[in-house]
Amino acid sequence: MAFNLTRRKFLQTASLAAATVPLAKFVSAETGVAKVSLEAQGTMGDTTVVGGLCEMCFWRCQLVGKVRDGQLMKLEGNPKSIDNGTAICARGNAGVKLLYDVDRLKYPLKNVGKRGEPIWKRISWKEALDECGSKLKAVVDQHGPQGICVFPHGASAKYPMHYFERTVGTHNVSEASFFQCRGIRDAAYVNTIGKAPGEFVDMANTKVLFLTGSHLGENIHVSHIKAYINGLQNGAKLIVADPRYSAAAAKSDIWVQIKPGTDTAYLLAIMNYLVTNKKYDKEFVTKHTVGFDKFSAAISEWTLDKAAKECDIPAVQIKEVAELLAANAPNVAIHPGRHVSWYGNDFQRERALACLTGLLGAYYVKGGWVPPKNPKIGKTSWATQEHGDEHNLNVSNNKMVHPFKPPGTPTELIRDCAITSKPYPIKGCVIWGQNPMQTIPNQEKMKQVFNAMDFVMCVDVMPTDVTMWADILLPESSYLERHDEIKVGVGKIKADDKEPTQFIAPRMPLVAPMFERKDQVYITNEIARRMGHEKDIPVQTLEELVNKTLESANITLASVKAEGGIHLQPGKSGYGVPEDFEVLLFNEEIAEAGFPGAPTYTPVEEVPAGYARLLYGRAPVHTFNRSQNNVWLNHEMPDNPVWLNDEVAKKLGVKDGDTVGFINSEGVKSRTTTTVKVTPGIRKDAVYMYHGYGSANPLMTAGVGKGVDDQSLITKIAVDPETGCHGMRNNFVKLQTKDDKTLDFPA
Amino acid sequence: MQYGMIIDLERCVGCHACTIACKAEWEVPVEFGRNWVKRLGPSKVGNELASTYYPGLCNHCAKPPCVDACPADPAEMTFKDAKSGKTTTLSVAATWKDPFNGTVQIDKSRCIGCGACVESCPYEARYINPAMVDDVSSDGKADKCTYCMPRVEAGLAPACVQTCITNARIFGDLDDPTSEVAKYVKKGAKGLEPKGESIGPNSRYYGKKKDMTLLFQESTPELADMGSVKRRAMMASMVKPAMRKARDLGLLGLAGAMLVKGLSEKKNDE
Amino acid sequence: MSESNTSQDIASLYRFLAQCMQYPDPEWMNDDFFNVFYNLLGSLGAVTEGKEIRKALEQSSDFIEDLQIEYTRLFINGVPHVVAPPFASVYMDKSIQGSFALRTLNFYRKKGFAMGEEADLPDNLIHELEFLSLLTEEEDYVGEEEFLSTLFRPWYKCFCPRVAEETRHPYYRMVVTLIDFFTKEEEEDGFQLNEA
Ligand code: SF4
Ligand code: SF4
Ligand code: SF4
Repeated sequence: MAFNLTRRKFLQTASLAAATVPLAKFVSAETGVAKVSLEAQGTMGDTTVVGGLCEMCFWRCQLVGKVRDGQLMKLEGNPKSIDNGTAICARGNAGVKLLYDVDRLKYPLKNVGKRGEPIWKRISWKEALDECGSKLKAVVDQHGPQGICVFPHGASAKYPMHYFERTVGTHNVSEASFFQCRGIRDAAYVNTIGKAPGEFVDMANTKVLFLTGSHLGENIHVSHIKAYINGLQNGAKLIVADPRYSAAAAKSDIWVQIKPGTDTAYLLAIMNYLVTNKKYDKEFVTKHTVGFDKFSAAISEWTLDKAAKECDIPAVQIKEVAELLAANAPNVAIHPGRHVSWYGNDFQRERALACLTGLLGAYYVKGGWVPPKNPKIGKTSWATQEHGDEHNLNVSNNKMVHPFKPPGTPTELIRDCAITSKPYPIKGCVIWGQNPMQTIPNQEKMKQVFNAMDFVMCVDVMPTDVTMWADILLPESSYLERHDEIKVGVGKIKADDKEPTQFIAPRMPLVAPMFERKDQVYITNEIARRMGHEKDIPVQTLEELVNKTLESANITLASVKAEGGIHLQPGKSGYGVPEDFEVLLFNEEIAEAGFPGAPTYTPVEEVPAGYARLLYGRAPVHTFNRSQNNVWLNHEMPDNPVWLNDEVAKKLGVKDGDTVGFINSEGVKSRTTTTVKVTPGIRKDAVYMYHGYGSANPLMTAGVGKGVDDQSLITKIAVDPETGCHGMRNNFVKLQTKDDKTLDFPA
Repeated sequence: MQYGMIIDLERCVGCHACTIACKAEWEVPVEFGRNWVKRLGPSKVGNELASTYYPGLCNHCAKPPCVDACPADPAEMTFKDAKSGKTTTLSVAATWKDPFNGTVQIDKSRCIGCGACVESCPYEARYINPAMVDDVSSDGKADKCTYCMPRVEAGLAPACVQTCITNARIFGDLDDPTSEVAKYVKKGAKGLEPKGESIGPNSRYYGKKKDMTLLFQESTPELADMGSVKRRAMMASMVKPAMRKARDLGLLGLAGAMLVKGLSEKKNDE
Repeated sequence: MSESNTSQDIASLYRFLAQCMQYPDPEWMNDDFFNVFYNLLGSLGAVTEGKEIRKALEQSSDFIEDLQIEYTRLFINGVPHVVAPPFASVYMDKSIQGSFALRTLNFYRKKGFAMGEEADLPDNLIHELEFLSLLTEEEDYVGEEEFLSTLFRPWYKCFCPRVAEETRHPYYRMVVTLIDFFTKEEEEDGFQLNEA
């Protein structure tokens, strides 16, 4: 640039044509001057704002914000909390950096490029909403409500999900938290004890904690981890079955280094041992279980030796586990797990866990499975309407395809229908807070689904990978900027309290939303108006929604705020088995539907020669991909080193810290590379890495391309037959070196 | 009185909450930390497998090498005992050990940002915070864990202790035998002394035997060669103003060019 | 020319530069605007650059949309990544609304200004330019220099080259260069290479 004038000369001589621009964004006001010292001042003097409810993950710890001059400096646990107390985890603490993430979505965007290769243009809310409303309406007009599919996740997605499900009337809703996570668990327990189990194990008071493939300590849920550590400190014995020396295994008394996919065989052998040696709780079994005879006959083939062979573990170890459980029953905690969509044989494994709990009489007793007696609140949302089963993809020839599915429609049914237009076309897609690219197996198939659509809209806080496929992308206010979701539970004010206290903690904003971010009630209502559902709108604002939900508990947002953000009321412990409580050891209904009525083990595909099974799990500082772009969290764990058995590494000639990529058994290569962690703490036939890394969207400037996206390698689709949920651990990989050499795993 | 921190590895789950809370509390730049958590293992310890964590922070050492390393001009400072109100005046450089509470602190206004203390700390507990610039140092200032003295003086727990989800971090006066931290020391909590040295680290660890073995095996630091650290720091701080001037006048570029030329000429000669 | 006329001119100049950085909208980005813009370039002797911009605009079927897309890509959310968010904190604190934003706000306050209702974040480039305009209107040159050297230049010098190098539209290259030119400290006379 060659400007001929110097700045000073120009300013002295030039007289500008009047460019009077009426802009008065600064309003003069007399205010004090704050001296900025070098030393950070700490947050002790900042204003405390109450009512925060964390959603860096979905445990919803109660927060306060430290606010300085309208700026959120820090998040802390709410001192009034009887759940997480003043503690929050790394992600909770790092919420500040989500709030102020440079890459966060700020304005409605329109894709003027192609799906998958977007060119974004900022547009007004009016234009954005008009576009969403008219395009979705066109789909409904042409193809019926079933022409819309919805992929929701998180607190803010519930209201729009109900709108599309109940008011618009589509069955085609697939929640990741069900179909790619814990839906199997809930379905299995519902069909065994009549209730979803949560993670309601009384770990703090247990004598033995029994974990199968758990990420306790790698996935952090504050109050849950508190109970876990308190239990161990109180002397609980810990049994961990895992192919890997996990964080929990490192604290265990017995580590069962089980062969991946065989957990059900292990559980059946334990139960068979308890039954044949009469070490089960006879009184409980007589009083509270159904189908014991059929059940014990069905599992009788599972001797210790048979299971030992199948699971590749010593028979004596299974016996040791069974004995330890029997000796401490009923005060033993059989953990139902959380992310359980593993192998496509998972419903039966979860059933086995529920039955094992029953054999040990470990329901509703100290140290066992004890559901909390939570306070009651309302359920304000869109009114439910009946839409019949004509377009329900889970019903075929008057029969349920996956009769024990969790709520919604199994993902694979939706995807197949969308791609083939059979039995009907699906042409509109609403993605709300979910990142299907990194939650649902087989990314290519997901892309086909998006490409089959007439219209795709996305609502999120961050430009996650899936947002690249949107036509319209809407920026949502985050959990720190809106009212929302109510956490209820029980806890103790003092450790030695006899009875617990109930708490109700509605989410309240800690700061105002910036830019043009809006909440789910605003967005959904505006779309509903444009689709002709004005009269069905249940509430006008999110605040009203929460207040209505609180009505039945006789409290309001204002009253809870005055109480310090959390309402407390006397509660009762959950101990004591209800008279009518039943454990269906053998479930006739399941048998009638054509599935095994007693927990049954189905072997999974063996690892093909030269490959290793790809296992994935949680990093304590991340919530899957959701937190990858958070600069603080990214700095703590920037990539996801792959765990490789030390002896295997030696044979492959791979050293700790080497850079590797992957190719899976279907020929799909990882887009990026990661480093190797050589350790004796994993089986030879498996590798392991943290889930959620390797974002593909370049808009995520901190997270993009960091580590490997395990999901991109999960291409083989396994579906749990009873529930229709995915199994994601039947994929096999080889390592690839920097110079693109593929390394075969030794036999 | 000697403040100290215990980290109970039996309780620690390696969640990094402490690291992030500290960052927020003290506005620590993204790429640095006043504390850290490293996952160790799974590795063989004897015949067993072990895996644990190394949550580290400043040790507020009994004989802190960082204090000796500071080349800033000493100044008189008056210290006050929070309990008795007693005062004492000492001549200290820009970093010192508090005679009453035993913490090691930095005077940001006098720190010249030379980095001698950073290099001298065997635990890598210090960093130069580039956000802190003034007339004395345009490169930033030394920064590190203060044991959250401003919070402690306000009656609060250190930020990392407050947020610790399993109460694995315990803070208190090691000199008070009734304190929880002193009880841990009695039970065997140990600091990570540098190899063959004894500088008296006051952040201490407690845990299962195999985990402690793994921690000490993988995280025992070495003492920096103080002679050279100090000499380099002195040199840096002495020549800094002159070098700045040279850079400002564009002289450094010239010198660099000459040097390059000299080298290539030499090559040609050979 | 009287002192106060000069300061009025400089104030308008800062305002005009702020306007150039607003999201493109036919409401203001019209013929009048471009007349002033080309005029300014003309008086700086940047005629060639002006022509280049004119050509780029004339060749497009919808130049406003082009500029909107480019604006989104450069400053909001762009592919392959947002090039240069126009906020000081992004460069100084690696975050939106970091402590640098707070320091900026405090400086405004020291000078007796507060953020208006409709305002974006305090360290938004647009507001900083508006603020400079207000300072010069009040003939607070000391304040102007202090603001430029302590709060403006430190980040703008990172921001400007990013935009200049990565933009695909000559308009934005020119706008950030203009801002750079008018906010840069004067070089020592002896080093001024192309003295007019
Ligand atoms: S466990 Fe952590 S991320 Fe999850 S809600 Fe609690 S503080 Fe937030
Ligand atoms: S740990 Fe390092 S910085 Fe802290 S007192 Fe010891 S030597 Fe100094
Ligand atoms: S004591 Fe305070 S300054 Fe030190 S590591 Fe903990 S939070 Fe950070």
